[in-house]
Amino acid sequence: MKTLFILSWRNIWRKPARSGVLLAAITVGLWAGVVTVGLINGMMHQRVTYLLESEITHLQLHQPDFLKEGFARYFLPEHDALASALESDERVAAFASRTITDGMIQSTVKTSGVRIRGIQPDRERETTTFHRNLTEGEYLDSPMRNPVLIGEKLAGDHHIQVGDRIVLTFENTRNELVSGLFNVSGLFRSASANYDEVNVFVRADDMNRLLGVGTIYHEIGVLLHEVEDAPAVARNLTGEFPSTSIRTWREISPELTMIVELGGVTMVIITAIIMIALAFGILNTMLMALFERMREIGMLVSIGMNRARVFGMLMLESALLTLTGVAAGVALALLTLRYFSERGMNLEVFADGAAQLGWDYHIYPVISASDFGVMMSVVVVITMLASAYPAFKGVRVNPLDAAKDA
Amino acid sequence: MMYLKLAWRNLWRNRRRTLITAGAIVFAVVAAIVLQSMNRGSYEVMIDRMVSFGTGYVQLQDYRYQNEASLDNAFYFDETLRNRVLASDSRIQHIAPRIQTFMLAANETSTRGAMIFGMDLHHERKFNQIEDFLQEGRFFESGREEVVVAEGLANRLELAIGDTLALIGQGRFGMSASGLYLITGILRHPMMEMNNAAVFMPLDAAQFLLSADDHITALLIQPESARLTEAVATSLRNELAETELAVYTWPELLPEILDLMEMDMAMPRLLAVILYIVIGFGFWGTVLTMTMERMREFGVLISVGMKRLRLSMVILLETLFISSIGALGGMGLSWIILKLIDPIHLTGSAAETVLEMGFDPVIPMSFAPDMFYTQAFFVFIIAVVVFLFPLMKIHRLNVLEAARS
Repeated sequence: MKTLFILSWRNIWRKPARSGVLLAAITVGLWAGVVTVGLINGMMHQRVTYLLESEITHLQLHQPDFLKEGFARYFLPEHDALASALESDERVAAFASRTITDGMIQSTVKTSGVRIRGIQPDRERETTTFHRNLTEGEYLDSPMRNPVLIGEKLAGDHHIQVGDRIVLTFENTRNELVSGLFNVSGLFRSASANYDEVNVFVRADDMNRLLGVGTIYHEIGVLLHEVEDAPAVARNLTGEFPSTSIRTWREISPELTMIVELGGVTMVIITAIIMIALAFGILNTMLMALFERMREIGMLVSIGMNRARVFGMLMLESALLTLTGVAAGVALALLTLRYFSERGMNLEVFADGAAQLGWDYHIYPVISASDFGVMMSVVVVITMLASAYPAFKGVRVNPLDAAKDA
Repeated sequence: MMYLKLAWRNLWRNRRRTLITAGAIVFAVVAAIVLQSMNRGSYEVMIDRMVSFGTGYVQLQDYRYQNEASLDNAFYFDETLRNRVLASDSRIQHIAPRIQTFMLAANETSTRGAMIFGMDLHHERKFNQIEDFLQEGRFFESGREEVVVAEGLANRLELAIGDTLALIGQGRFGMSASGLYLITGILRHPMMEMNNAAVFMPLDAAQFLLSADDHITALLIQPESARLTEAVATSLRNELAETELAVYTWPELLPEILDLMEMDMAMPRLLAVILYIVIGFGFWGTVLTMTMERMREFGVLISVGMKRLRLSMVILLETLFISSIGALGGMGLSWIILKLIDPIHLTGSAAETVLEMGFDPVIPMSFAPDMFYTQAFFVFIIAVVVFLFPLMKIHRLNVLEAARS
């Protein structure tokens, strides 16, 4: 066994260029696999976290009819009881109540439809990261009377600047139209221009004054300490408040669920593609190397080395190469990941044209130890499979023919 | 010519090697094209829909309208202007005038915001299949106080065919605008936000309602083919240079969607690059072993008088042959694959999600030509880089040593 090992090791280094190429191919294959998985993971993770933290949160509570139609009359009748239940639940990190209705925004330029979100400025700040989207002006806790935050996109369409006044018109709980004059205190920009065009933010108190039926809320957004608790907390609440719609983020945003679910499939497909590409390279080089060595192998067989041992020797060579390549690939991948996890990988170079809307093209790769492990095993298996075919061909050599060649 | 023949023959001296190398390239090209095509297809359909229902390939507006989309910036449109536009470029196929504004739509008890589209059905039907989306009833007739309401809005207001829809809002220069209209049809619009807010009415009735006689907010222009967008826009710009009218092409009117598409395309492009790096190493390995194996042959060729430069030419041709076979095969194969799977029909929860986002539950494939030739370009680059190794070897080759090996 030891002899075989030494033999294999020496064989590898007899032709450093050829072994080098194989090593490089394996290294690059593993590196590519790990980095790709890391980037896709990172991109998904970023999208999901951003959407959850900025807007969707982990749980949302509504009066069931409100989900169909944003009428003011579909407010949460049990709001205070819900709030105290959430208050006493230890799994809840924070929650914010919102007074929401669909209405119109009227500027000097034109009128358009918007969803008016009345928020509790302090609680909202603890629950979502919406306040970070502010690009200009002040948040809703400014001393201004009737402040409103407007998306940059909407502000552009309406020619509104910070300090301008706009009129918001909406139906109250009795289907009567009410209007209020609001002062634009700030502009925001979220990741979605569509969202920015149809949502404006005001203080829930100001909105309740206009609605004129005490303090009502249409939505409670709940942030939990652990995302995994969402279904359990939702179940508890549903038991206690059967007439309230309590949805987890998966139910709120099927889009997010799709990202998470399709993400896994995408990853498998992409890993497979890279691994097949790798297998092609290895197979070809191994095959070439073997043809070149036919004479040598024929010689070994004719001086009495049994074919199983020849096969063993060839596979051992591949195994040694693979392990070295995997080690190098891991090192390279770790370095790359470390570099990009600090700086982020800027995908902008792969996109034509200017990123006018300021999308964040920086991806911070994320990879778990188990993903790393899976990738390593896949590379080892693929390389060994790709070298088994040439080795198999090798042992079936006819020593006479091989000796005659060259 | 002789080089070609020589290179070609060398290629087939080791059939298996050539096939595996070309196979690897075919695989990379197919993977890169199919991945990009899937991502891009949905956007192309979306853009096509937004263009044919929304903006038109080329659009004429008052120059102030883009900044301030208000009725005050509508423009006068009559036979003279129509003829002038049509005469400016023979490649203009259709034009359709539209007036568009935001109003309140109401039933007896409640009110919703609505997008009002005053359109000339006679011209509009040449642009898109809007009539196919009619669920019930019939389209309005020109000159009558009739409207077709999008399904989502009709449901919200609990209105049906035969009911009356009240429209309240502002016309040109602050004139108050209100009227009662008979609902003659309900339409299911494929774009979600339109389905929840659109009201379609005859152009003349809308102009009357909005105190905007003979004025429109946009003139949609359809060239004979999408490729002629820029050409037609240029002719129009020349023709209308002296007027207050501005000409826009669809990429200028839909920058967000193009931006979004670029964002989503970045990942598959990056993947293609990574894939080509992996394939490149495989290719390099093959060429390297091939070169080593043939050192003796090269040595013999040079010693019998072959110039190193010529020998390099032959090897370069071989490399290019392999990569061309791979690239062409890959393009052909991916085209066939795309044809076969186009479009992918989604099922289950994925389909529902897509419907909810306002799209059809199919993933159409893109056949954009640039996707194909970009791959050829990549493969060519790889071939050239890979060729550097044998080039260097041939240049440094010592005839005596090579012959001895």
